[in-house]
Formats: sequence, structure tokens, C-alpha cells
Amino acid sequence: MGKKPKIIWLQSITCNANAHSFLNHPNLFSILSHFSLQYHPVLETSYGLKDLSELKVPCDILIIEGAIREEGWKKNDIEVAQMIRHYATRASYIITVGTCATFGGIFKQKDPKKISGFCFDNDKKTFRYDLYKEKLISLPGCPIHPEWLSYLLLMIQSKKKIPLDGMHRPRELYGYTVHNGCTRNEYFEWKVDTPGFGHKEGCLFYEQGCQAPYTHGSCNKILWNDVSSKTRIGTPCFGCTEPNFPKQNFFQTETNMGIPAQMPLGVPKRAYLMLAGVAKSFKIKRFSQTLLEYDE
Amino acid sequence: MKKVRIKELVEKIEGEAELEFDFVDGVIDNVEINFGFYRGIEEILQGRDPMDALVITPRVCGICNHAHLIAAVTAIEDGYKNGGLEFELSNKAKYIREFTLSCELIQNHAKWFYITIIPQLEALLGVASGQNHPLKANYISTTITKALAIFAGQWPHSSYVVPGGVTCDPTYLEVVQADSLIDEVIRFFEQVVVGIDMQTYLGIDTYNQLNTLEGDFGRVLHLLRSSALATLGQSHDRFIVLGESSLAPRGKAVATTVSNVDLRYVAESEQKGSKAKAAHYKGKFYEVGPLSRAMLAKRGLIKSLHKRHKDSIFSRIFARIDEIALLLQRAKQILHLLSLDEPSCVLDMKKKPQNFSGSGAVEAARGSLLHRLVVEDSKIKNYDIITPTQWNLSCNSKEETGIAIKAMQGLKGTDEAKFVFRTFDVCSVCTTQ
Repeated sequence: MGKKPKIIWLQSITCNANAHSFLNHPNLFSILSHFSLQYHPVLETSYGLKDLSELKVPCDILIIEGAIREEGWKKNDIEVAQMIRHYATRASYIITVGTCATFGGIFKQKDPKKISGFCFDNDKKTFRYDLYKEKLISLPGCPIHPEWLSYLLLMIQSKKKIPLDGMHRPRELYGYTVHNGCTRNEYFEWKVDTPGFGHKEGCLFYEQGCQAPYTHGSCNKILWNDVSSKTRIGTPCFGCTEPNFPKQNFFQTETNMGIPAQMPLGVPKRAYLMLAGVAKSFKIKRFSQTLLEYDE
Repeated sequence: MKKVRIKELVEKIEGEAELEFDFVDGVIDNVEINFGFYRGIEEILQGRDPMDALVITPRVCGICNHAHLIAAVTAIEDGYKNGGLEFELSNKAKYIREFTLSCELIQNHAKWFYITIIPQLEALLGVASGQNHPLKANYISTTITKALAIFAGQWPHSSYVVPGGVTCDPTYLEVVQADSLIDEVIRFFEQVVVGIDMQTYLGIDTYNQLNTLEGDFGRVLHLLRSSALATLGQSHDRFIVLGESSLAPRGKAVATTVSNVDLRYVAESEQKGSKAKAAHYKGKFYEVGPLSRAMLAKRGLIKSLHKRHKDSIFSRIFARIDEIALLLQRAKQILHLLSLDEPSCVLDMKKKPQNFSGSGAVEAARGSLLHRLVVEDSKIKNYDIITPTQWNLSCNSKEETGIAIKAMQGLKGTDEAKFVFRTFDVCSVCTTQ
């Protein structure tokens, strides 16, 4: 890698939201000033798609956005998978941005047998994994948060070691659950359900389908658009960073005998049930009241 | 008669498109527009719970995802009502939805202006300013989506709108914060985009007063007028608006003659060689988008402009940037009108019809967006999405020339034609879904 690492941002089967999310980085251009942006799907770059498809653009960091199919997804008369193979072989780092590129995501659903993530197909490794595992970094999320990618790029640029988990996700971003930092945590602790959608009060884990307690991500630590997150404004977490995204019935919690079917990450069911039983045996007045009322 | 065919790739339009130009005696006679990337969102929705559409359909598009969310919920609410459920949204929920959608439109228009139009126009005319225009897009987009996320949790890909209202329950802390962000964008609009204060801008009602505009918008208008580009890109001079919003009433117009529309007459048809379907109303093509909204709203300034330039790129570009001012003004007004003691959501999710069909139209950044769904036994049987770009960028039918194709006919060069094409604010991913 030269002084300014060369970035290619290559799109496969995607909605472009990762590119647009990153365009919302408040320090976008100072971050990009450390790199040479060779190709990008929205911003003006030194090379065009024609150059890219002729396989002649130098590349140090390959950013892949979108799900992959080996055949049947062409740009400028060349299979996108072939373009990716070419640049992936030459790049020093491969970053899969978004859940589609990482695990298959939404666009895998169209043709689950033929469409997958780049190195993972849900939580299974694809044949590409062994070819690229040494330089692979996974950045799942539908879409990614701009800070996640800038963190990664600046770590690479400053030649720092990035701790990764088994799925090649940076631990500093995905070592948390989305539940971590949620403003509704008190209600979770005391097992107080929200009365329905549109309330500041109550937890969304028991009925509304919230997956935050078992979803890897830092949405409630690094806030979205610098101000908020899904759970803070009363929308359940849909588990969009997870290998099995998208599940069915996003707005309903799957339960067994009234207990959420999936436990918070790493928590044994026995431990959960015991604590829940104790918490529920107390009726704490404050948690049954609204936080504040506006007079007419 | 000398015939030539030239194939060109248009990129950085939320994906790509292939244009095949047929020149006859040095002038564009016809164009074929091909979008190749069908991703099958409508199929993915089949068999799912209708509420899942609130999560899946925003993923049609990274730049207008919020409009898809609101179209989806509007279609489901329409279906609930058709299925016998009676309810009325609170004004609070209506206003918050309108506010966040307005923010998305502003985000889109600013990016189109600073990332697409200005650099392309500078390149076409060879008048590079050397400025980092995308930096300005980044500032507006970052600031306005922050205001959006205060209510919607995040942008892109929020799912905070649910049947019966919205999931957020804001306090005045959030309202004041959003109001201040709108002020910040207004300040930017005044100082950088138009060079005059907002009230003076909104007071402009004649074509000649446009000379008082400065800033980037003033410069672009000057470049268009002094280069004779202003009159290019005229099409059928037909406009349609399917969504209901404060920007414009629902309706259609042929030049300035306005009439009603009925959503049942909106249809799609397959196109040879393209993965995109053409959208039409009773078999006729109409332009959708900011220019159509302004024509239907009978905005005085736009009518004055239209009198001179018809549906040219000048009118089209003007209407889109003009809409930023209208939306900012409306956003301020909405925040002022918000009454937080009203309920955010009036429906109980457990009580919902199991069989219904519904449709929902909204005015997205690029024009009218329509979602239709049929639900049987609480599962989606059929889901249909008709996007704005399916109207503007359709190929020719047997009877008619497509809107963008007609706008490119008669031009002498492909660079000029591609610029005209981009004035429609092309979105490849939406066109093919």
C-alpha cells in the first residue's frame, strides 16, 4: 500500500443504502483525504465503471456492497463476481459493507440457493472464505453506520491491528449488543412491557419483536445520525446485523409459553427465568406510570 | 438518410443504465433505455406478514427508502379500512410522517444538485469552478437526516411508521432540536444555495426576478440560460401527481389544464429488453416529480417559467431546487403545529383484518410512488410497487414515446442527451426494484 491507500467501492446486488449512509458521515471528506478513492458508486472518482470492468484499476482496499451471485449479474458486459474476484485477489484488505455483502441479507431471499454474501452464506462459510480469509473484514448491518466504516478505514490507514471475532467482525463494534445503551433498559430489567407502539415507556422485547438483546451491534452506543436509534424511538431492533437477517414477522416476539423464544446473548434460559420471575413479582409504581404528561 | 447507433453507459445514478441512441442525419431519433438489475423485492414479500413490508420495502432504495416505508404503511392502512377497521390517525402522527418525508426529499434534492447536476453541467460547458460541491451535499444531507432521525431513529432504512401512526413519542426536547436543524439548513440555503434570505426567495413570483438569485442556484440558472441549454429536454408537457401532500393536490395536467385522477387507472406494462416496467395512466405517459407537483399546485413562479420554457430541463431543474425552499418552510410550520399530547399510534396491533387489499401513494423525491398489496389469511399474496422512475424513464409504447426519450429526441450529441436524462433524477435501483 502506498501513502494513500487506494479504495475501490464495488456494488453487486444492493439498494445503495450503505453508500448513502456513509455519505452522511459528518467528517466524510477529511476521512477520504487520507485515501485515494479510485471508484465509488455515487461520488466522482478518477476511474469510471468502464475502467473498473476492464480490470485495470489499482486497488488496496476493496469495499464490497451487495449480495453476490456467481452468474447472472453483469455490469458493462462482465459478471460482477468476476470483477470482484479480480480486485479481491489484488487488494490487501476486503471489507464487506452491509448484511447483503457479508451474509446475503435481504437480496439473498430472491434466490437463496444462488445468492449469498461474499465469504458467508448466512452463518456458513462460502467457497471464497479460504481464498480471502487473511484479508477479510465483515461489516454487517442493514445499512452500516458511517462511523463503523470510518473507524475501520482509519485503523487500516494508521496500520493498527483490528481485533476481529470468528465472523471477521471488528470486536470494537460488534462486541456489544444493540440492547447495550438502550434508553428502555430499566423496563427490561423489571420486565415491564410497552403498552403498544408510540410510547416512550416500556420494553419492546416481550411482544413487539425487539431483537436487540441478542443482536451484535453498537446502535445504542454510536447513535444513528448522531442522535438516535430504532429502540430509542420505539421501533424494535430487527437484528439487521445478524447472519440470519431477515427473519419473518419483524413486529412480533416469538414466544414459548409466554417467554421470548430467543434469550439475550449468552444468557442461559434458567438464569433468565429466575431473574424475570423475581423482577415480575414486584410491582413498581414508577414503571407503570408515564414519564411525563402534557396538559391540554 | 444516415443512421448511426451509439451505446452509452450512464453510471452513478443509484446504479447504472444503458442508453442506445439512434441518430438519423446527426440528430437523436430514438433512444432505448435499459436497466438490467431486477432484484425481486415484490417476490420476496410474498407469503410474509404484511407488517414485514415496513422493513423490506425501504430496502428497494438507499436514497428514497423513507418514501417506500410511508407508501407501504399507507397501503396497509388503506387495506385495513377496506377490511372494515375504522380509525383516524392523530394529527401528530400525520405531521411527524410529513416532516420526516420532507427531510428525505430535501436530502435527495441537495445531493442531486451538488453531486450530479453542478459537476455534470460544469463538465458539459467546460466551466469548472474547482469547488468541492459534494461537500455541500454532505453538509445538507447530514444535517437534514439528523432532523429526520430524531423522530425516525435512523436514516437510511427506518421503519418507525406503523399502521395507525408512528412508533416515536417525542418531547419538546426533540422538537426544539429538530427545529434548530431546519434553521441550520435554511441558513445554508440562504447563504450558499440562493444568496438571498428565505422570505425574499419565497416572494419571487415572476421569471424576470430570477436575476436577483445568487449562490450556486443563481449560477446554474445563469449557465443554463446563457448556453441555450435552457429550452432543451421538452417532453409531452403532461404531468401527474398520485400522492396527497402539502406540496400539491392529486391530479394530472396537460400543460396547465388540470383534471382528476383515479389510482385504479394506473397500470404497468413489460418492456422488451429491459427489466423495468413502464408506468402509465389510461395508456398515456406522464411526467412525475417536482415539476409535476409545482404544475399541479399552480405555483405562480413555475407557471411563469413554464410559459417560457415549457417542460424543459430549465423548468425541471428549477422546480426540484425550488422545492427545497417550499419543504423547509413547511417543515418549520409542521413543528410549530405539532401537539405532543395527542396519541402517536391509535391502533392495537393485535386487532387487524386478516384479508384485505389496499393501495398507498406518496410523493417521493422523484415523484409519485405507489404500493399495492393483497393480503389473505394475514399473509401477503401479492405486492406491487410502481416507482416514479417507471413513469419518467419508460421506453416507447406502441402509441407513444416515453417521457425521457421524447426529451432527448432531436438533440445532436450524447453528452447533451445524457445531461437531459439526468435532469429526471434517475434512480436505477427503484426502476427495477
